[in-house]
Amino acid sequence: MHAVVCVKQVPEQNSVKITADKQINSDGINPIINLFDEYAIEEALQWAEKNDGQVTVISLGSDDATDSLKKALAMGANEAVLINDPALEHVDSQSAAKVVAAAIKKLDNVNIVFCGKQSTDDETGQFGPALARFLGWPQLTYVFKVHELSETSIVVDRALEDTLETVEASLPVVVTAVKDLNEPRYPSLLKIRKVSKQPIPTWSLGDLGLGGSDVAGNVQVADRVPPPARPSGEMISGNVQTQVSSLVQKLVENQIL
Amino acid sequence: MSLYFNSDHEMFRQTIRRFVEREINPFVEQWEHERCFPGHALFKKLGELGALGVSYPEAYGGAGLDYWYNVVLAEEVGRADCGGVPMAILVHTDMATPALAEFGSDELRQRFLAPAIRGELIAAVAISEPDAGSDVASIRTRAVRDGDEYVINGSKMWITNGTQADFITLLARTSDEAGFKGMSLIIVPTNTPGFHVSKKLEKLGNHSSDTALLAFDDLRVPIANRIGEEGQGFGLQMQQFQKERLIGSVSAVAGMEKIVAMTINYCRERQTFGKALIENQYIHFRLAELLSEIEALRQLNYHCTRLLIAGHDITKEVSMAKLKAGRLVREVADSCLQFHGGMGYVEEYPLARYFRDSRLLSIGGGADEIMLGIIAKYAGMIGKRR
Repeated sequence: MHAVVCVKQVPEQNSVKITADKQINSDGINPIINLFDEYAIEEALQWAEKNDGQVTVISLGSDDATDSLKKALAMGANEAVLINDPALEHVDSQSAAKVVAAAIKKLDNVNIVFCGKQSTDDETGQFGPALARFLGWPQLTYVFKVHELSETSIVVDRALEDTLETVEASLPVVVTAVKDLNEPRYPSLLKIRKVSKQPIPTWSLGDLGLGGSDVAGNVQVADRVPPPARPSGEMISGNVQTQVSSLVQKLVENQIL
Repeated sequence: MSLYFNSDHEMFRQTIRRFVEREINPFVEQWEHERCFPGHALFKKLGELGALGVSYPEAYGGAGLDYWYNVVLAEEVGRADCGGVPMAILVHTDMATPALAEFGSDELRQRFLAPAIRGELIAAVAISEPDAGSDVASIRTRAVRDGDEYVINGSKMWITNGTQADFITLLARTSDEAGFKGMSLIIVPTNTPGFHVSKKLEKLGNHSSDTALLAFDDLRVPIANRIGEEGQGFGLQMQQFQKERLIGSVSAVAGMEKIVAMTINYCRERQTFGKALIENQYIHFRLAELLSEIEALRQLNYHCTRLLIAGHDITKEVSMAKLKAGRLVREVADSCLQFHGGMGYVEEYPLARYFRDSRLLSIGGGADEIMLGIIAKYAGMIGKRR
């Protein structure tokens, strides 16, 4: 079994600044693996260990994204690929999926792709479904448990808004992971050292048979502003009796009680 | 990007940070209540991560890496929700084992250092006695040669990990020479007949960490358990103390930073007289002042680390760092507790625990007054001119 995990490097905190040209400036903020992608990595590793398979992690980003790929390697992934091209600097989710799909086709013999249900920076939630479309594979989104995974089929539980759904699909397939799908392992120092010098191949758009026009994108960010500050809470004054009755009244009014 | 930490350091940082969030913080309340933490279970997990021997030789299972990894470990465990467990871990890694790692015989390191790095054995260091604390030259515990063994009698006080340790790095008198001379560092397995935990001590803070009064009653260990040459113990311990003091100061900076950040958040949320507390100039000026002092101490710690890695004697600089850390944690604890008002005084909030735990730093590992004496000597004010 050959599993691919798509990994995005994101800022650890959301307190990013927005630049004059509406881009996100995360200077000084620690870059980490997207939260949901960590669950995807762990799930891929667990099933690869059971099935004697291999895991390749792919990231699309600048050279800095090698840090996240190295972490995934230190967690136990076998190979990593960075897709880096100047034309991809402000790529949208659809185009990113198109590029990663080309990389997966180039890898060949991939049975399954795991990715997070969304990234914690852009939060479009489009990448996984778009990737499945470009690959022409079925997609299993919002997966919170994988029951079975073999060379040919997979059985998972999906967490929908009002329903828990058990689904069986044939491989190849794209799976998107939700939080708490598993407990991601932390890499040991031994593994951190082992992968420290492991070279990570970098593929450009040209290596994937694509050009700048393939990633022009249909979505342009027209504006980007920080959300309004959260209003401060209301302080209830008076003696204890007044405070309690006022609090209860407000809870009833807001249909909390 | 930091001047001192590369991406591997940062990856190790993330590993330890996650470990603290998952394996320590959720259990702090329980361990504080129980007045102990499950040392063997926790150290085994840390050993599997490679966190207990980051700069120790690979021949004994260490990673053989630079001391910045020790700094990362201390910073990240220093962010835990209590002072006790970080202290227990750092005693094991940077206070009880450096002399063993550097000067122990190969056999001694195979027997004690290698399993300590794997997290199978817990280490403690025993210097202070009921009548000799920071005044190390006054210790009375004796190790008398009898054939190829030392017979040890005496007692040791304030021993972190004292009830759980599998071996103790013990400073004892091995000759009648007075003062600093005639002491040796000896590894004492705690399953040796004659070893007693006389009392588990109740403390003001650091409740999750066990601290003990130990007794040695005709306890016999092979002479081969001695670290280095006979009579060199004081000097070896003084070297070991420099790492202890550095790592204590490093860990304190991380804890202070976390507490000040928590206080800033609280003061942003807390409304009094129609505005957020943080808008009071006294409060934001005071917090800015504390942040500046914390940053200055961090840079002194990093300076000490650079000197240590370059092979310099850091006694003067690290004594300054330890002194400053001990005093600054008290200022941080006091100001941050004050800004939390009643919330700072109740156990539901971390400030009360921090206030208790932080008080130790001006006492343990050499009291403030000892640090002042060292600095005064190195500055040529007292004693021999240097």
